[in-house]
Amino acid sequence: MRIRANDLVILFSRLAIGSVLLYAGFMKAVGPSAEFAAVLETYKLFPPSLLTPLAIGLPYVEMWTGLFLLAGLYSRQAALLSTLLFASFLTVISAAFLRGIDLSSCGCFGSDILSPRYTFILDVGLLVLSLTTFRLTKLPPPLSLDRAFPKV
Amino acid sequence: MNIHRFLLATLLFACPLLAVYAIKQTNWGPILATPKSRQTGDPRAKVTIVEYSDFQCPSCASVDPTVHKYLELYKGKIRLIYKYYPLPRIHENAMTSAHAAECAASQDHFWPYHDRLFETQLSWAKLQDPATSFMAIAEEVHLDIQKFQACYADPSPLKIIEADSQEAQAHQITSTPTFFIGDDRLVGSVVVTDGARAIEKALRQ
Repeated sequence: MRIRANDLVILFSRLAIGSVLLYAGFMKAVGPSAEFAAVLETYKLFPPSLLTPLAIGLPYVEMWTGLFLLAGLYSRQAALLSTLLFASFLTVISAAFLRGIDLSSCGCFGSDILSPRYTFILDVGLLVLSLTTFRLTKLPPPLSLDRAFPKV
Repeated sequence: MNIHRFLLATLLFACPLLAVYAIKQTNWGPILATPKSRQTGDPRAKVTIVEYSDFQCPSCASVDPTVHKYLELYKGKIRLIYKYYPLPRIHENAMTSAHAAECAASQDHFWPYHDRLFETQLSWAKLQDPATSFMAIAEEVHLDIQKFQACYADPSPLKIIEADSQEAQAHQITSTPTFFIGDDRLVGSVVVTDGARAIEKALRQ
């Protein structure tokens, strides 16, 4: 089987994005949702009625996207979703920077604290990888369930 | 739709739900007993409020008047327990202020000292060495200064603070203040808007 350079890029991207999303979602989901809701409140961007549903729901969306990317099932759709997720994260964090909000933690990894500056860099990198994966995944990627169980 | 793909997708959707559910069944450990000096309100009160807080945290200072209001409003019905949870990574004087407060607690003057620390937070929070401010508060609340100085120079009270911090981490607390009122966990300034509701709910149980 001949492996093209594009396939390697897609594989690496899927593993990187999938692992980060799965870890970030899991760390938030196993922690108390009130803690994540409190962090979301510090961004001063969301209406109070949205904080709890977002704090409960977002970690699962991240985990599902991560798992689908890692397993390579509906890879293109998962890559599109991860692109939208990272674009949203960047928008939210940039809005906080621009308004001079002092965030002690981005809240991205639950009880693991990562400074918003590093988060910004990480999000930019993962956004680029997500967009690349989405654009390159025209056919079922290598080592994926999409290839093992192609659409009929 | 291909049945295999559908089944695999269902499995991938179910995995995180089951894993998180299983982990959330874990008991994170009990809230340990706290010395009487760091408790206020009626000791026989039906509802116990546990607060994990950092003296240098601005939100902790801002919710303090509300907590006082609840203690007044629900006199005889609630009891407040204070737990140290300094966050030295973001608040450089968090640990020293907790140390000073513990020294006040050892002289049974924790609460007046606690109140003054929050009231004067802006004046000492950014100091390189806040010891002078802490001594001034000690004098203000009529502590035995010699004892206070000896205690402040002694690192052993830090063990008490670290024990509280470890307990907070075991409860997966990442923000201060965090309040436990009955079954409710209120994080940050939420206690201002939801505290009374949580107390009423706990009183009804």
